[in-house]
Amino acid sequence: MSIKRPVAADSYGTPLPWQFQRLGKWLNALGTLWIIALMVLINTDVLGRNLLNAPVRGVTELVALSIVGIVFLQLADTLHSGRFTRADVLLARLKETRPVFAARLQALYHFVGASLMGVILWAAWQPLVEAIRIRQYVGAIGDFTAPVWPVRLIMLIGLCTTLVTFLLLAWTDLRRARALQARGSETR
Amino acid sequence: MSNAVIASGSLVLMLLLIWGGMHVAVVLGLVSFIGVWLIRDDVSVAANLLAAAANDAINSHIFGVVPLFVLTGFLVAKADVGKDSFEVANQLFRRLRGGLGIATVAANAVFAAITGISIASAAVFTRVAVPQMLRFGYRGGFATGVVAGSSVLGMLIPPSLLMILYGFLANQSVGDMFTAGIVPGLMLATAFGVGIVLMAYLRPKMVFADGTPVELPTEEMMGVGTMGLKLLPSIVMIVAVLGGLYAGFFTATEAGAVGAGLALVIALLKRKLDGPAFWSVLTETGHVTVAVSFLIICASIYTRMLAMSGMPQFLVETMAHAGLGRTAFLLLYVAIVIALGTIIDSSSIMLIVLPLMLPIAEQFGMNLVWFGVVTVIAVEIGLLTPPFGLSVFVIKSTLSEPGISLGDIFRGTAPFTLIMLVVLCLLMVFPRISLVLLP
Repeated sequence: MSIKRPVAADSYGTPLPWQFQRLGKWLNALGTLWIIALMVLINTDVLGRNLLNAPVRGVTELVALSIVGIVFLQLADTLHSGRFTRADVLLARLKETRPVFAARLQALYHFVGASLMGVILWAAWQPLVEAIRIRQYVGAIGDFTAPVWPVRLIMLIGLCTTLVTFLLLAWTDLRRARALQARGSETR
Repeated sequence: MSNAVIASGSLVLMLLLIWGGMHVAVVLGLVSFIGVWLIRDDVSVAANLLAAAANDAINSHIFGVVPLFVLTGFLVAKADVGKDSFEVANQLFRRLRGGLGIATVAANAVFAAITGISIASAAVFTRVAVPQMLRFGYRGGFATGVVAGSSVLGMLIPPSLLMILYGFLANQSVGDMFTAGIVPGLMLATAFGVGIVLMAYLRPKMVFADGTPVELPTEEMMGVGTMGLKLLPSIVMIVAVLGGLYAGFFTATEAGAVGAGLALVIALLKRKLDGPAFWSVLTETGHVTVAVSFLIICASIYTRMLAMSGMPQFLVETMAHAGLGRTAFLLLYVAIVIALGTIIDSSSIMLIVLPLMLPIAEQFGMNLVWFGVVTVIAVEIGLLTPPFGLSVFVIKSTLSEPGISLGDIFRGTAPFTLIMLVVLCLLMVFPRISLVLLP
């Protein structure tokens, strides 16, 4: 009997080609720092407003923009960590009874995810260009204003990274399927 | 193809794909994209709708609550706040048969008033309460069942992530939703306690491994001072976060930030947090936030697709035509939610079902705050039911006792699921229970 190399049941958490997951991790860390900044910012506003009667300007607008930024920065790493919500009922059974098919099915799902990212990217390009061209901002002139384009740009970067992560996960799935198949024919 | 056909077709496809294991957010986004494409017969309209959803859906001050309350939950879990309240409750209820079980429920109720996520409660009390109960002769299934059952209090007693989500979907004030959860939450906790005592006396075999309770050794009792000190962090958090929110000092988002700040200070003072632990808490917070937010983004295009298709109005008319009354609708609704809870997670259910059902509930003149409380409890039953019971999975993965199987835990939770159903029925029949604290 040949020695069987264990094949992972999922592609999540495993290294991707070109160590691509590191980019996701890096963006994720940025998002993490942003969450702390958000907490500090809001606390400063609450304390300043209630104790010193000196509110921080523009917190409402900044929080709204921040949450979009945070989510898209951390999207790819969340995907790679396998934390996207999904129902495991059928897949868990398939992984036991028909592991090759399960791996191929996961590849298909990841490919579909990549296409969805592609569609959003295709349509989200225009708003970014527009936001830069007309210098779109949030807030009120004279009080507090913040440009919109940085968050739009972060969104695009996050979407691109997630798209590539989806594709590489699909590729890893197919490789797993091949490995599983080879193992299956050996034992037979 | 009529629009209603497209909408119902996409709904069926959606449920199939979700059951098949595709990521829920991807399914929602993709199927809605195709739906809009078919309805409008224009692919660029559909794509623009997707991009707009990605831009706008979570671009609001109120969504700041998501990472902040999640962060609070993980921080207090790290700070041993749950463990301390369990120790105090343990001493208070030690004379009762099944006292450790009741202590778990009581400590969970206190913990629930600080955190807004059930998974934090489930993880904490698996580590804290289960070993204690096993040591004193409780059955493994019962011990984990109590933890799973009482973890649902986390989402019912404010603050609560599900209430926030509902408030957003139904256009209700988050503060009102929080207030409405208080009495039902306490009622459910009491019902759990009563259930445990009844089981311990009437069916001791269900509770204790040998069928009889083990005599508790007369351990050293904590003084009132020690007990007070152990509860102090919880009390400070509850007063500051919920008190500040209700007194109008700050909004829900700000309450989340204040809570996270306080939890951080408490964890640092208790020396329970070092650099790597803090970083992993933050990463975990990010992942939960993203998973929920990405779902919200994709669900918002689904909501727009439904609105375009006229499906909600169509359902309202069909209901009226079939002579389906208020009660029948409510029962059907709860049944659908509970059935979905066996395969998908709480937030996905709310995002899929509510856009369809809220117009009907409104048509019947139902109070949407009360409807929200009913929804949250019905959704939470799904946390406990096989094959997909998130709380039970969290417990199994946190558990260091390999002898307790997933099946044992599911069987152990069954009595608590039944108690939840009874409480849910009471809440459905008497809306006053949920609304009594509201003006």
